[in-house]
Amino acid sequence: MSPTAAERRRRGPDRAIASKRRAAAGVLALAVLLAAAPPAGAGTPAGGPALEELLEGCAQCHGADGNSVMPDVPSLAGQPATFLETQLILFRERLRRSEAMAPQVKGLDDPTVIALAAHYAALPPRAAPEAGDPALLALGRELAKAGRCGTCHLRDFAGRQQIPRLAGQREDYLAMALAAYRDESRGGADTTMIDVMRGATDAEIEALAHFLARQGGQP
Amino acid sequence: MHVNRTRLSWARPAIAATALFALLGAEGALAQEKKVPGWAQGRPAELENSPLAPHPGKMTVTPPDQIPLDQIQLPPGFKAEIWAHGMPGARMMTRGDKGTIFVGTRGIGRVYAVTDKGTTREHQIVTEGHYQPNGVAFRDGSLYVAAINQVMRFDGIEDTLPKVPAPVDLTNAFDLPPDKHHGWKFLAFGPDGKLYVPVGAPCNNCAVDADVHANIRRYNPDGSGKEIVARGVRNSVGFDFHPKTGELWFTDNDRDWMSEHGPDCELNRVSKLGENFGFPACHANGILDPEFGKPGACDGVTLPAALMGPHTAPLGMRFYTGAMFPDEYKDQIFVARRGSWNRTSNLGFDVVLAKLNSAGTSASVSPFMTGFLDTGENSFWGRPVDVLVMPDGALLVADEQNGAIYRVSYGG
Repeated sequence: MSPTAAERRRRGPDRAIASKRRAAAGVLALAVLLAAAPPAGAGTPAGGPALEELLEGCAQCHGADGNSVMPDVPSLAGQPATFLETQLILFRERLRRSEAMAPQVKGLDDPTVIALAAHYAALPPRAAPEAGDPALLALGRELAKAGRCGTCHLRDFAGRQQIPRLAGQREDYLAMALAAYRDESRGGADTTMIDVMRGATDAEIEALAHFLARQGGQP
Repeated sequence: MHVNRTRLSWARPAIAATALFALLGAEGALAQEKKVPGWAQGRPAELENSPLAPHPGKMTVTPPDQIPLDQIQLPPGFKAEIWAHGMPGARMMTRGDKGTIFVGTRGIGRVYAVTDKGTTREHQIVTEGHYQPNGVAFRDGSLYVAAINQVMRFDGIEDTLPKVPAPVDLTNAFDLPPDKHHGWKFLAFGPDGKLYVPVGAPCNNCAVDADVHANIRRYNPDGSGKEIVARGVRNSVGFDFHPKTGELWFTDNDRDWMSEHGPDCELNRVSKLGENFGFPACHANGILDPEFGKPGACDGVTLPAALMGPHTAPLGMRFYTGAMFPDEYKDQIFVARRGSWNRTSNLGFDVVLAKLNSAGTSASVSPFMTGFLDTGENSFWGRPVDVLVMPDGALLVADEQNGAIYRVSYGG
């Protein structure tokens, strides 16, 4: 049985993702196999599994074009390269804990991290959904203004450098990530985000996610 | 304890009203500006829509041939070499009794150990997976490490390396506040044998309980006997003790978003236990805070021994106690300035010399190690974050951006 969005939020993103994975065990097994059984391949800068093979594994959850169609899994297309590098390394260093990501990033060397990040940074993000709930959008817009999200994430929420793109990200993932900052369950997190999100309510997070998922900032 | 933090909820009453308006079909008319958060109080109009944000760190290895060493500038007679490299995020340094250099980090969560093999250096990861383990100190054969939420001690580590002994967990004994923002630590032992630990303000600018946040404490090495040494210290990430007087001198990072040109960051001297250095009401050399600085708020506040420039982030500092450099450097202070983000024109990104006045109460600051910053392009390639005097008198400089340690020597 699939948990509700609220349950997932309470349990934190990584465990929620893991339970999704178990529900799709075949897909997971394939992804793990691809990442964890490196053939004597060429193609990555350090001679690990070929980048193409790694990307096939990533695509199982994050989408072939880097735009996720899987619940709770973030889109990577158009994310700033430095942000992607940082998150991959936080996963690799077991600072940001994730049952789903841990086997994928285990032993990834720095040149491969850089190559994966460059790949997804160059992909075009999907257009944001247009329709939304007017009241939620209005509240989300005011909250984003009040929290000054645009100072770092830029006014169109396209992100930059180490700061993620929020525009057009999956709404369910945004809500999980914001709750994880608030609950201090996102390992290795930027401390400013913890400071900003402290005390936010579920309703505020829902509105922020609803609003940000529907922004269309260009990378 | 009252802590007025920056968070979404400060705007909640206004937001709730807006939501209601929105539901009713009326949009926008918010009395929002009356509820400006602490960190944005006093922000001038030209900063209102400013996109200034911290520069990204670098989490991947920088090969030494990508470090433009020839751009480093030093006074005549000095030279710099790459002493160790390949340690992403290398920050604060301490030296073991047997010569191992231990190096803390923030984002990447590791502590490194560098072993000198004569002409080359080798490094290994001592411990990893910690939340910003910035603070390292060494005493009586033990390495002390402080992360945001953790204090650990590795006994006899230089005898077991490359094997790392299981750490003794001192987290509960030190009982530090759990706050994450400005929660990374610097560590150093004083001449009194106490372990000195700063606790930053958990915000850009907010009211704090002076016994909890924005202070520097000292403890017995086991975490007992806590005393507040300095209060009103926004975020110190570097200090040292005068080699003759034993006085604590420390750097402090002043607040953001008040102006691009101030308040200045600080170099301070503690002359009596528990002294007040002004945060959050009185900044730099007596600048009243727009929110907390009521008239008279600087009364009784100890002003800096030296101003370190606006937003320059002076971090690690050490008195020069070596014999290699010319006499004029003896007992003076080297300060690593990580460099600014909260101003349009980058500033800092260097090591400066703070020369004390004859009374030993204030200091004048001049450039020492520069060239990391290209002021024409407003770009930088390196970020000095700590300095350490070696037994031979050379000065080690940690560059967080390139994960490298430089050795600055004189003559020869």
